[in-house]
Amino acid sequence: MNPPQTLTPPLEIEQPPPSSGPGSMIVFEGVTKEYEHHIHALDDVSFVIEKGDFVFVVGASGSGKSTLVRLLLKEIEPTDGRIIVGGRDLTRLKRSKVPLLRRNVGCVFQDFKLLPTRTAAENVAYALKVQGEARTAIRRKVPEVLNLVGLSHKMNSYPDELSGGEQQRVSIARAFVNHPPLLVCDEPTGNLDPDTSVGIMQLLYRINRSGTTVLMVTHDREMVDKMRRRVLALEEGRLMRDERRGGYASE
Amino acid sequence: MLFAEAFRSLRASASTTLAATMTVLIGMFLLGLFIALGTWVVSWSDHVKKEVIVKVYFCTPMSCGYEATPAQINAVAAKLNADPHVKTFDFVSEQEALKRMRKRLPEVFKVGLPSNPFPASEEVEPKRAEYADAIYKSFTPRPKGVETVNYGQKTAKRIISVAKVIESIFLLAIVILLVASTLLIANTIRLSIFSRRREIEVMKLVGATNWFVRGPFMLEGLITGAVGSLLAVILLLLGKELALPRILGHINGGSDVSAIPFSLNALALVLVGLLLGAAGSGLTLRRFLRV
Repeated sequence: MNPPQTLTPPLEIEQPPPSSGPGSMIVFEGVTKEYEHHIHALDDVSFVIEKGDFVFVVGASGSGKSTLVRLLLKEIEPTDGRIIVGGRDLTRLKRSKVPLLRRNVGCVFQDFKLLPTRTAAENVAYALKVQGEARTAIRRKVPEVLNLVGLSHKMNSYPDELSGGEQQRVSIARAFVNHPPLLVCDEPTGNLDPDTSVGIMQLLYRINRSGTTVLMVTHDREMVDKMRRRVLALEEGRLMRDERRGGYASE
Repeated sequence: MLFAEAFRSLRASASTTLAATMTVLIGMFLLGLFIALGTWVVSWSDHVKKEVIVKVYFCTPMSCGYEATPAQINAVAAKLNADPHVKTFDFVSEQEALKRMRKRLPEVFKVGLPSNPFPASEEVEPKRAEYADAIYKSFTPRPKGVETVNYGQKTAKRIISVAKVIESIFLLAIVILLVASTLLIANTIRLSIFSRRREIEVMKLVGATNWFVRGPFMLEGLITGAVGSLLAVILLLLGKELALPRILGHINGGSDVSAIPFSLNALALVLVGLLLGAAGSGLTLRRFLRV
């Protein structure tokens, strides 16, 4: 394992230097994001995530995790560096092509972001409608994916009639209904109790095994330690750790 | 699909929709009222201005010491004919003048007159009331046979300036009203969109194009604008049919005084309403689409 760490650890990366290939899902090349007042949300971050990986991104609040997610969805632009998602260079992607990118990147958030005036089924269907999917295809795919997340009995419930875990399942169903190659989850279990979180994690794990790359930002120490997957640790905008089978904290 | 989404959100946010419709209704009603009133006033002032007439009085033995000769009278007629400011002119003989006066002041004529004191004249209608002064000035110095020229200078000037003020007040009022109702409607729509910005954010995050998000909102604005302005037109029609005859009985300006045709006014209102509704929501959305 790792050699014993000093109190102020030098930047140490176990991985070989990032090299992107045709099998790469996400490539960050020296990405820096600077907000006003020269605050570095991300500082020269580089990593490569291969297709089919399951990756945790951990770090304290303000370490740049959310910035990373927003960069992946091209909600914001990096100040410097290059981001490639599924072979698309986001820094060169035209704004008009952003919707296309987002249809290929499913996203799940801590606050679910469901439309309150639509039922579970309608929320999922919306993601398909947006792509101009045919009505018949929608009618087939929506029950299918809701069945996958275990909510086929609550298809016609509104978000406020569902528990937090159920709402998160709807939001995962919505993110996954297109079968995107990449699923980005921003603290998906942040608002849920431990038991519910386990269910959500199992669901994400199943989705990952079907071939979808999953990038999950989390605070859930227990979950990260138990799963022993790849961990990217951010600290004040810098990538401090990148371990193949890491834990929440460095050992 | 687009219509379904638009109607769905109209139903879901009934109170803001109602507010927006009412705003359009009030704005368009006032605008319609002012357009009708404004065009009526302009037409009335035109009518009043037509009564500005330049009178060219010919000489009589009593005033100049000699009678204007037919040649002199013809010379004046030729001069008026050549004047581009003149619309029409009409010769009034001494007998005609006497007859008119007798009609206007019958009690004076009960006494009887030894002879006809009234001169013959040309009554000149200028193309525009504002030209009366130019026509007047073209008769100074007086040509032979013309005793005096008069167009009620003071009255005419006052009529012209009052009409000008009224016209510009109404034009200004229409412009202000148009701007005010635009801002009011845009603001109401902004409120209704602001309450749904979360919804827009979600739409963008699942990969909706800007037009996919904007479409239902704009259609919604269009429907709001159409309903609001149609209601305004109905209210105006009711007002025109029920209230106007009673008011108009008192201030009948003349047969040629009329407002803009109602159908034209209604068409303008509906178009403005539609435009405001659609453009208002389309433009307001821009801010929220940058996710």
